[in-house]
Amino acid sequence: MSWTDLLALLPILILVLGSTTLLMVGAWRPGYRPLLLAGVFTALAAALCAGLLHPPLGEVARMFDTGPYGRFFTILWSLVAAVTLLLSLRYGEERRFPGGEYTALVLFACAGMALLSSATSLVGIFLGLEAFTLVLYILIAFHKGTAEGAEAGLKYLVLGAVATGFLALGIALIYAASGTFHLPEAMAAVSGEGRLRALGLVGWAMLLIAVGFKVSLVPFHLWTPDVYQGAPAPVTGLLSTGSKGAVFAALVPLAAGLGGGWHELAPVLWVLAALSMLIGTLCALAQENIKRMLAYSSVVHMGYVLIALLAAGAAGRSAVIFYLIAYAVVNLGAFGVIASLADGETEPQDLERWQGIGYRHPFRAGAMSLFLLSLAGIPPTAGFIGKFGIFYAAVDEGYITLVLLGVLASLISLYYYLRPVIVMFMSDEEAVPLHPGGGHEHAGLVICLAATLLLGILPGPLLDLIAAVVP
Amino acid sequence: MMIDPTNFPVLTLLIAIPLAGALGCLLLHRSAALCRWTALTATGAVFVLALGMFARAQGAGGWLAWEDCAWIGRFGIRYTLGMDGLSLLMVLLTAFLLLLSVLISWNVSRHAPLFHALLLVMEAGILGVFLALDLVLFYLFWEVMLIPMFFLIGVWGHGRRIYAAVKFFLFTLAGSLLMLLAILALYVLHGRQTGDYTFALAALQQTDVPATLAPWLYGAFLLAFAVKVPLVPVHTWLPDAHTEAPTAGSVILAGLLLKTGVYGLLRFGLPLFPEVARASLPFLAALALLGIFHAAWVAYCQEDAKRLIAYSSVAHLGFVILGLAAWDATALQGSILQMVNHGVTTGALFALVGMIDERAGTRRIDRLGGLWARTPVLAALLLFFSMASLGLPGLNNFTGEILILLGTFRVHPLWGGLAMAGVLFAAVYMLRLVLGVVWGRPLGEEPWRDLTAREALVLVPLALMVLWLGLYPAPFLAPIAEPVRRLLAEAPLLALKGGLP
Repeated sequence: MSWTDLLALLPILILVLGSTTLLMVGAWRPGYRPLLLAGVFTALAAALCAGLLHPPLGEVARMFDTGPYGRFFTILWSLVAAVTLLLSLRYGEERRFPGGEYTALVLFACAGMALLSSATSLVGIFLGLEAFTLVLYILIAFHKGTAEGAEAGLKYLVLGAVATGFLALGIALIYAASGTFHLPEAMAAVSGEGRLRALGLVGWAMLLIAVGFKVSLVPFHLWTPDVYQGAPAPVTGLLSTGSKGAVFAALVPLAAGLGGGWHELAPVLWVLAALSMLIGTLCALAQENIKRMLAYSSVVHMGYVLIALLAAGAAGRSAVIFYLIAYAVVNLGAFGVIASLADGETEPQDLERWQGIGYRHPFRAGAMSLFLLSLAGIPPTAGFIGKFGIFYAAVDEGYITLVLLGVLASLISLYYYLRPVIVMFMSDEEAVPLHPGGGHEHAGLVICLAATLLLGILPGPLLDLIAAVVP
Repeated sequence: MMIDPTNFPVLTLLIAIPLAGALGCLLLHRSAALCRWTALTATGAVFVLALGMFARAQGAGGWLAWEDCAWIGRFGIRYTLGMDGLSLLMVLLTAFLLLLSVLISWNVSRHAPLFHALLLVMEAGILGVFLALDLVLFYLFWEVMLIPMFFLIGVWGHGRRIYAAVKFFLFTLAGSLLMLLAILALYVLHGRQTGDYTFALAALQQTDVPATLAPWLYGAFLLAFAVKVPLVPVHTWLPDAHTEAPTAGSVILAGLLLKTGVYGLLRFGLPLFPEVARASLPFLAALALLGIFHAAWVAYCQEDAKRLIAYSSVAHLGFVILGLAAWDATALQGSILQMVNHGVTTGALFALVGMIDERAGTRRIDRLGGLWARTPVLAALLLFFSMASLGLPGLNNFTGEILILLGTFRVHPLWGGLAMAGVLFAAVYMLRLVLGVVWGRPLGEEPWRDLTAREALVLVPLALMVLWLGLYPAPFLAPIAEPVRRLLAEAPLLALKGGLP
């Protein structure tokens, strides 16, 4: 590996080396706050480096893209990791999380997501995906004291292992059909009329199943609510935004490159999208637990993203990326609110505990309402522009039935997004005060809130940037 | 044609003032009194601005003000605001009713800062709807109106407020989401035909919509607007929302939100799909007539005075839609005038019922009575506005109704004749209200305060408006003459300006 390769990988190296350094520092000089804040700065440094550095080559080791697309996502996931750490600051302190390990794991997960988003080879995909999945096993069960945490970790582990199996088998089949791990050639082998084309398509289908597990599409979504519920709220935020977003980010170039093969996969994707939207919506309706509700809502949202991915034109690909960003901002904020309301023992997950807090904690309740309205796609929020882009791409490509299903899901979803708002602001019960929250948490929430509104009112610059980096 | 020579963004200012006021209310949330005055100042400033534009327009046609700049370039979305006579009248009504709403809500003590902030956000949303000429911008304002009203009903409402608030939100959103799809379809069609991807109303009007697709797209628009108007099969949210909302909420709902539906039809629905829209007019007329009779019947059976007035709104809006469906200059002018009339009288009636409720603690007609003996001035005003509502000549609703009926009768005698009977129905249920509330034996002994100065400040301007509109409506008819001509001629919206600005 030459100097130029290392230079091109510098942002990732900052994340990984920062992660290991903090782990070591934490082992010898245990602390919490300084280590987490150092983690925030490491992530910001990686983002800055990815933004400012123009690497001499566009691809490293025929595995990772270090061009604009890869660096764009490195920046995004670094920022997500920084906000996650900011939102965990008080939450983890009161639960006595070991600072070194926690920070190191979040940064390492971020590096994995960045690698996955920029993968240009099947091995790269496998490496990136496993890097952050392994980390998430630990992070989900990080609060050792709770039974839910252990259950969630185990569930994620078992289903994650199944997904890994599918992924490995899929990659093997594609390799057998094409003779290469490098994606452009591997995809060309499937698109053509090769003799082993059927084998390749089976491989792609297996890969899609693994993806389905990771981004929790129906019918591979069963782990989602339990894991969301059991994991610490900031980790749930990371899981819900980064880990799913990175998978879609890796799929976008695939959709672009697969060409005719993509259309053969289209009916499968169509069914997955429709099922995710409908079943996710119906399940979310019945939830009394806000984290479970957000889990099912994420199933629905991944269905929306899949619509845009199906409509694989340039508009569709841009829509996917914008939606991922909007969803990341909003979901981080929503789980941040939950984390900031949690005391040292429990999180306020049951809606009952949210009664009347709109007037007790107005800023956070207001922010939560805005995040929920954004998830519902009401303007002027990021969620509206995201949904607008997806619907536009789908109408443009003629997926009318799917869009109508999406509209139906949006309409029903409004009911469960409004419920917390109603409970917070319109309940007659006197509020039981929850945790007042720390300054860092408020700072993290202000960032998410500002981004939600900014992307809803002035999305132009980001849309232009996406159009410039999208393959 | 009169374009602001200084290029001063007066329309943006109209929307920005209430938004700034709302922000002020949230920042000043420690003092309820300061918030009240902030809200009053903001709505007052908007009213003065609107009045100034009305005075300067003097019935001129074309665009009185126009602002346009790029907004989201990638989608071709522009920030386009424009004001013609129709918008002007609606903006004036909005500014007037919002100012009064702040006065009506002077005594709101629960979470007063939030209340006033929401009123102001709502004002910005409604003004935006009446001014936006880019379809996405319009959609944005259309949704922005929803959220404050949802909170107003849900937090400050009565009885089954949450049910009413959610129902209101879901009904409106169901319509508007389909409208969003139709907007997108139109956008894609236009982009493919001309290569110019834009949401500008003036451009999309030129789209050649395939005959198989046009009814679907028009239907989506129509559904969104019909829910707001509301036309009969989709009107069921209205009685609940109006009844459970706080007084200011009811005034705004009846006075303004319903008008956004009719306005949307006039500004977007009809010009975008002229042929299909023309074909749908008899259908609209049938729904309007059905609404007039059905709502009158149901209103007559109500026990709750507020619910009775809520149903009377459905009936009155039936007249408005009938005038529109007649597709005749006189009737259409009458329709637009009637929107203003209905805003004034129904706003006043809701305010009055709110005032009576504050004193009596009930709105049930059988538990009220003898108001004349206890609070003569209030009772007299209730009588006055009820007479206006049922269309007594010399008062405002008469002028609107007579124009609608004349115009309709000229084109479709049958519709006109049926509607005439509807006027009679209106008299029946309004008189029942008056009979039950004003006359009869007082059902209590304790003395009630008669009209307070603040309440007079709300009702006297409304009463003056009733007389002005009833006796000399010409100043209000002048600005809409040209927009109505343009609508009927189906002339492109911007021909007067000589193309795009």
